[in-house]
Amino acid sequence: MVPRLKRSISLSNLAKWATLCALILFVLLPTFYLISYVFTRWNEVNYEVFANPIIGDENWKQIQQVLLFSFRLSLFTVAFDLIFGIPLAYILARKKFRGKSLLEDIITLPLVIPTSGFGFATLITWTTATGIGGIFGLNSGLIPLDAVIPLLNVPFIVFIVHIALTFPYIVRTIATKFESIELTFEIASRTLGANPLTTFRKILFPLSISGIFSGSVLAFARSLGETGATLIVSGVSSTASIAIVRWTSEFKLATASFMGSLLVVIAWLIILPIEVYVNRGASLFSIPYRFPRALSNWIIKFEKFASRKLTHIKNFLPLFIVVITVIVPIVIVLNSVIFYWSADPYTGKVQGGVLYQLFGPSNYFNSVLKATLTSIIVALTSTFIAMCIAIPLSFIIKRWWYGGIIRSVLKVPLIIPTSSLGLSVLLLWGSNGFNLVKPGIWLIILTHIVFSVPVIVESIIAAYEGSDIQMYEDSARTLGATAYNAIEMVSLPLIKGGILTGFILSFTHSIGETGATFIVMGRDVTVPALVVNMVEALAIPAALFTSTYLIILSLILLAIIRLTTRR
Amino acid sequence: MSIIQLVNVTKKYDEITALDHLNLSIEDKEYVCVLGPTGAGKTTLLRIIAGLLEPDEGKIHIAGRLVNGLPPEERNAVYMFQQFALFPHMNVWQNVSFSPIIKNYHETRIKRLTLEILEMVKLADRQDAFPHELSGGMQQRVALARGIASGSRILLLDEPFGALDARLRVDLRAQLRKLAEDQELTTIHVTHDQEEALMIADRVVVIRKGKIEQIGTPHEIYTNPQSAFIMSFVGGANFIEGNVIRMDDSGSIIEIRGSQKVHVSDISRKVGEKVVIAIRLEDISIGMVEAPVSNNFSGMIESTMFIGSSIEYVIKLENGITVSSKKLISNAYKSESNETVIVSFLPEKCYVFEYPKIGLLKEIEAI
Repeated sequence: MVPRLKRSISLSNLAKWATLCALILFVLLPTFYLISYVFTRWNEVNYEVFANPIIGDENWKQIQQVLLFSFRLSLFTVAFDLIFGIPLAYILARKKFRGKSLLEDIITLPLVIPTSGFGFATLITWTTATGIGGIFGLNSGLIPLDAVIPLLNVPFIVFIVHIALTFPYIVRTIATKFESIELTFEIASRTLGANPLTTFRKILFPLSISGIFSGSVLAFARSLGETGATLIVSGVSSTASIAIVRWTSEFKLATASFMGSLLVVIAWLIILPIEVYVNRGASLFSIPYRFPRALSNWIIKFEKFASRKLTHIKNFLPLFIVVITVIVPIVIVLNSVIFYWSADPYTGKVQGGVLYQLFGPSNYFNSVLKATLTSIIVALTSTFIAMCIAIPLSFIIKRWWYGGIIRSVLKVPLIIPTSSLGLSVLLLWGSNGFNLVKPGIWLIILTHIVFSVPVIVESIIAAYEGSDIQMYEDSARTLGATAYNAIEMVSLPLIKGGILTGFILSFTHSIGETGATFIVMGRDVTVPALVVNMVEALAIPAALFTSTYLIILSLILLAIIRLTTRR
Repeated sequence: MSIIQLVNVTKKYDEITALDHLNLSIEDKEYVCVLGPTGAGKTTLLRIIAGLLEPDEGKIHIAGRLVNGLPPEERNAVYMFQQFALFPHMNVWQNVSFSPIIKNYHETRIKRLTLEILEMVKLADRQDAFPHELSGGMQQRVALARGIASGSRILLLDEPFGALDARLRVDLRAQLRKLAEDQELTTIHVTHDQEEALMIADRVVVIRKGKIEQIGTPHEIYTNPQSAFIMSFVGGANFIEGNVIRMDDSGSIIEIRGSQKVHVSDISRKVGEKVVIAIRLEDISIGMVEAPVSNNFSGMIESTMFIGSSIEYVIKLENGITVSSKKLISNAYKSESNETVIVSFLPEKCYVFEYPKIGLLKEIEAI
């Protein structure tokens, strides 16, 4: 009896260590390698960045400029998201109305649509005559590509894309937090005489401050790392992520990795304190504060007025933003494909039509097919490998004392800018590191594993915490099931939903990922990367077709997500 | 022969000591209730026996075997959670046959056993239902059936009626007791409900702050409580502080507040000792005239409470002490508030305890 027990323990130990090793090798090592690369190759970095004999410290100046721009862009994006995202989150969490789930789906769309396709759609919408400009009868776009928003000093089109792509993180995170807070507090406050806005300020807002911070962190990280769409719409301006892509493609690895490390470190310096603060569950409002009486009276008076008169604005404006940033681009890109189908509608040339570009001499159709195959193989393989790591890892996280540490370390790949991620994988596995994998499909898979593992782990853990797994497992054990039996017969079936959700999320993410893929893909182009290539080659009709194709593909994926998570 | 034996079992969570050098042995086929207030360590005790927790110190023997370090599945003790923990993805049949399948019984044996047990708990017609489709009482029966099907002789019940309605609880007590008896199970039943424990158990173990306060039959616990805490927790009582001033063979005299004297039959304390007198609510009478042989005090009725079959009176005595009395409605005293009455109780109905070191109020708190 006893020897059997011992053997099973050592087997489970083996599985545990194998999982942890895989975690370290595949998920955590690349980031640390990137940072260590800067130190080990400091001479090179110094030569390229600070003391180039020809251009001096021109690169350093560029780095500073680009970083500053990136952070400014991300901060403004988050601020804008918050202003309009909080009311929208409130509506989603508290109100019941027809078409609510449709609205939820529309808000989620930018998470699912491959970013390069989405970026291209936005570009077409705002800067060409086929877009909004055409509707107003202009011969050009409504807004030129290089238009800059006054005061904020960021390009309009980049700003719009970043808002659309980060808005879902803010709205969904905050809405979930609002939903978790019982309605009774608000009812109590209302019956005690507070108007809706005052109730929100004094009750709901302080209670959900941690959710607001978490959402902001996610949105900030997303904006900082966004590459796919930004590559397409950035024009002359360059964000930090794009600079990394550019320098990598110019083989300035030292500069790129220096920039990548800076980005990672600074992002962490901003995000870590917030994470710690949120995890402690402390509230900003635990610090006693008081407005002067006159001011507080005035605020309440204003809130009373606003509660009555301004609700429509509050309800309408966020919806307007969602429509403008998400729906309009999609509709316009679909419309444009039809517009350009056989020939360029302005010049009448067949060469400018979708059909000619797809099946003509450049034969883009073939590229699209090849890229689709690459994308699907990458998504399936990386998700499968990530699942093999993530499922046992979730159990380790829930069971061992160091689980909490692993869980927070797993946030690294979620927060690291995608182009830094791509660069780090390239450095680790490529000729500058292990020298095992050349840029191409395998390197893409290795890159996608990095972000897939945390995505799957998070959804499994959500399912694990949703049902009282520990109790069911304990129950099974006292009924005579071994630890392995209990996991197989009780825990796994109970978290099936979480595993499935994780699979789909990871698969979708993998299909749409652009920034990191662009750096590591070599000649094995995925579909989103193909869109970027087409735009760079000015093959607009082909890009239109491919974007449409991507959007439809992701709509199908979204429908599948809906069907599986509804149950 | 004792089937479960705990020797010096200690378990600490950070600063809190959940179990403090606890010794307990339980006989085969015995039905034991572990009674105690919330946080007394009852659940910890149960989990340690089941193997879901390891003690920091001490030994656990089950059926003569030292089981420290043995995983739960090899202890043959079924743990039933308060929420029953029926596997939500399995129907009634799959839940009940879980153990037989795990233990790799022959197919026909699994079928026969499961059906037999389902019939016993009268749920054979609901074998295809999923847990969420069943009422609380049915869920409890499935959980019991599942435990019995495992073939374990030991049943560990953590507040088995906690998730049920008050009325249903009372109805199911007798059923549970009979089932355990018919199946010849050794049962440890954890509860904070003293009425439930007294009604169902062969033996009651009262624990508090990780220590055993008293072990005995329900009758012993009620009529011969070993401490003011047990007196207060099981049944409830009036507590009066005082000092023993005289003692002889027939009893002692205790001086209470206002220099008034109480005669008690108890002679276990010493002259000069500070003590607590405890009197059950039902042992205090109210009348217009002094009762013979009794301690008589005059006081004023402060309030009356109607509790269905009985009425509870709160009376403020002249010396400032407040006492409660409970009378069956059939022989209730017709009273008006603020009415002056004579309160009386017999010397032999007074329990006398040593004055607790932690103070009387702390002692009788339900924690």
